[in-house]
Amino acid sequence: MKDETKQRADLKLVLDAQTARLDAARPDAVARQRKRGRWTARQALEVIADEDSFVEYGGLVRPATKGMAGAADGLVMGTLKIDGRAANIVLYDYSVYAGTQSAMNHVKISRMFLHAEKHRLPVICWLDGGGARPHDMHVTARPSTETFVVFARLSGLVPTVGISPGRAFAGHANLAGLCDVLIATEDSAMGMAGPPLVEAALGKKYTPEEIGSSSVHWASGVIDILVKDEAEAIAAAKRYLGYFEMQRPPGEAPDQMALRDMVPENPRRAYNVRNAVQTLCDIDSVMEVKAGYGKAAVTAFGRIAGRTVGIIANQPMYLAGAMDTPACLKMARFVQICDAFDIPLVVLCDTPGLMVGPEVEKTGLMRHSARVLSALANATVPVLTVVLRKAYGLGYYIMGSRPLEPAILLAWPTAEFGGMGLEGAVNIIHAKELEAAATPEARTELHARLTAELKRSNTAVESGAKFLYDDVIDPADTRAILIKTLDTLPQPAPRAARKRIIEPF
Amino acid sequence: MPKWEAKSEVSGFIWKVETAPGQRVAKGDTLVIIESMKMEIPVVAESDGTVVSIPVEEGAAVNEGNTVAILEV
Repeated sequence: MKDETKQRADLKLVLDAQTARLDAARPDAVARQRKRGRWTARQALEVIADEDSFVEYGGLVRPATKGMAGAADGLVMGTLKIDGRAANIVLYDYSVYAGTQSAMNHVKISRMFLHAEKHRLPVICWLDGGGARPHDMHVTARPSTETFVVFARLSGLVPTVGISPGRAFAGHANLAGLCDVLIATEDSAMGMAGPPLVEAALGKKYTPEEIGSSSVHWASGVIDILVKDEAEAIAAAKRYLGYFEMQRPPGEAPDQMALRDMVPENPRRAYNVRNAVQTLCDIDSVMEVKAGYGKAAVTAFGRIAGRTVGIIANQPMYLAGAMDTPACLKMARFVQICDAFDIPLVVLCDTPGLMVGPEVEKTGLMRHSARVLSALANATVPVLTVVLRKAYGLGYYIMGSRPLEPAILLAWPTAEFGGMGLEGAVNIIHAKELEAAATPEARTELHARLTAELKRSNTAVESGAKFLYDDVIDPADTRAILIKTLDTLPQPAPRAARKRIIEPF
Repeated sequence: MPKWEAKSEVSGFIWKVETAPGQRVAKGDTLVIIESMKMEIPVVAESDGTVVSIPVEEGAAVNEGNTVAILEV
């Protein structure tokens, strides 16, 4: 026990300064946050950090502008442990000048990011604030802050997680946009420019929500994980960082018999591939990212017998699983995250191919579909492919096909393989016969018959006989085979250098 | 009783209505089937409940985000 009755004046000065930055010494600031209906930065920190693990950096820093005062100059930061694993954290404190980025807290945050780079520590950014603090504009060197550059250089080196629990505009939005994974609350608002700047440029008044509500950013793919409140946001951040513990004790397996009926017998009937993802992974181990965007694909982290995996899957419930630009962008970036951190990939293929038509060409699909192929072709993590149903055209080629050298390539009994859609193929192969049909009805009938014939010669077993797959399996055995295959693929040793960057989008 | 609205995730046509107002449904039951991209896409109940109304008819066009069934859950 420290004897607090014996304090020298020099020590007392320090202890008083340390106490002054805490919430207990700042009842007005705390009350303002409560009134906003939000947590204080230190309140969030307490929930994120393992007990007594936080070490604060720069807690005594004062604003550079004379006459201004604010605890830690509006940025709480330091090292901590999260569920036993070391990390760095930076939290903008909205109760200090609306969490703005100041001359001094820029220097602080750069210090923390460089620290993360040097010591290879994951970074959590609590981004509650409205961009630059105008009062500090006069401070020399303020405009040339290195904050964003040093943070951008962490990409692929250490996991970065952003949390937007309220307002993240301008510089805060910039940091949010650089994070590997961005978690945001439903009532949050974000944007590259806040209301005053937008009004100055466009001459119109908007609320922060009108500029960038969470629903807008959820649909645009900016937000990876949408949550109700601060507590859920922190839980999601912890859960995400937990995947970087690559092997945990095996979790409980869901009933694998459900996989036998996962794909409906009726070939036209869609099913929700999320159910397949959930069934293949340990119970309660799956975390989907960007579920509000690129809905023709599902990207999720999960565990299979305790081993961390990334899953990319086509979603037949949306566009029949046809790969459009949003789905491709989402998958390509997810592959980059997994590759950067040596997380094996499970690819669940059920796609009629890339989406077609003039509209999708306007979205740049040629380039964006190439992103997925490029990401997988250049990834060095093992890929484990399972063809659930459709495996057509370039879509299949991208979704973990044989040329991508998957560690294993499996198919379910419902797997259909084709260089292109069978109906379209019939149109080309049998063009003359179809042309010669007497009536449109006869033509339709002939087309249906020829398509059915082609389909019969194209069962999964026939494809297996041509060695298009390593094996065609009972769906209920899929998980067991994935586990055995993963066991042949040991986790590589931690890397001395960055393997690759993760593009912001 | 809280209400839950089943929404279509896709644009397409109502192909089949598989339930009716007053009917009890269990989680995972198909409420309506939408046709889109030559596929039949079931919209399922997210939890057990009772169907209050089906604001769409077979053959009608639906857009992404349209409500296709309202349940009391």
